[in-house]
Amino acid sequence: MEASVADYTDSMDSPADNVISPAAEPVAPSRAAEFGRGLREATPVVMGTLPYALVLGAQASQKGLSPLEMPLMAGLNFAGGSEFAAIELWTSPPQLLLIATITLLINSRHILMGAALTPFLQHLPKRQALAALFLMCDETWALGLADARRRAAAGHRHGFSLPYYFGTGTALYVVWVTFTTLGTLIGPILGNVRDYGFDMAFPAVFLVLIAGMWQGVRAARPWLVSLIVAALTYLLVPGAWYVAAGALTGMAAAWFWARPE
Amino acid sequence: MIHPLSLLTILAMAAVTYCTRVAGYLALRNRVLSPRARTVMEAAPGCVLIAVIAPYFVSTAPADLLALAITIVAAIRLPMLATVIVAIVATGLLRHVLG
Repeated sequence: MEASVADYTDSMDSPADNVISPAAEPVAPSRAAEFGRGLREATPVVMGTLPYALVLGAQASQKGLSPLEMPLMAGLNFAGGSEFAAIELWTSPPQLLLIATITLLINSRHILMGAALTPFLQHLPKRQALAALFLMCDETWALGLADARRRAAAGHRHGFSLPYYFGTGTALYVVWVTFTTLGTLIGPILGNVRDYGFDMAFPAVFLVLIAGMWQGVRAARPWLVSLIVAALTYLLVPGAWYVAAGALTGMAAAWFWARPE
Repeated sequence: MIHPLSLLTILAMAAVTYCTRVAGYLALRNRVLSPRARTVMEAAPGCVLIAVIAPYFVSTAPADLLALAITIVAAIRLPMLATVIVAIVATGLLRHVLG
């Protein structure tokens, strides 16, 4: 528990910090405990990504990616949506510019996600923040953000727990790289995992996270705007534009509704 | 065996993706946000999450829509793991029953 004592005295030593009363701050758990909590709380999310990883690997092997190329992509890129698109477009040899552009389009939501996470990363050294952001995917971002808000509300000085976040990231990263690779090896005998309903784990995780962010109907109005615009864009516009279209319109609505009196 | 162009393509993907991950942080790191901008940033996570799963809300399969409705109720009332299990079981069963 050394770390917790250090954290506590640190907060006592710096009254200049803009904090809720330092005396009221709960004693922080150790780094190892926080890392373990991250691993544990990521488990249901990992369950949801596991079948996707197998399916991606299976599709990759059909497109001629080797059991060496798949872990390289999964491990260096680590962003499932763009990897599905890349595999879909994969030729031998692949069209570099096309795949890079599609990757940018699909992952452009990371820009917004990183912006939303930034207030919670301000207290970290730049190098740590840049390392943490490598592991930022939909799941780790949402878990880390929800946890940071909960901890901030509970009176922790910096809501964001870096070891917790690395715990969630490690769980997802290891499973993603391992099971996409496994998918390239056992793909042909796998059949269609979608039949078993595993794909619904993905929206289920997101819905729980959204429910955890609920702060009343007024605050949720931009989400509804985002949902409607994203759904319509998905139906009407081919490609991956719907996430950016919905999220940006929702944020514009939040901006409009938040205008000063 | 890795084809050089395959390797380059994977590296290009990785570079592009990492740039999207750090862009928001690098742009806002040293900024103090106005209260209005902060309200927008607080709404942003929900906006992104709901937009990502928007396609599930306009599925053409009745089984999937019904399973989504059950999942929403579960998400409001249950913790993460229970919700995920309910979602998978409901979807699997409904797809078998309703096709």
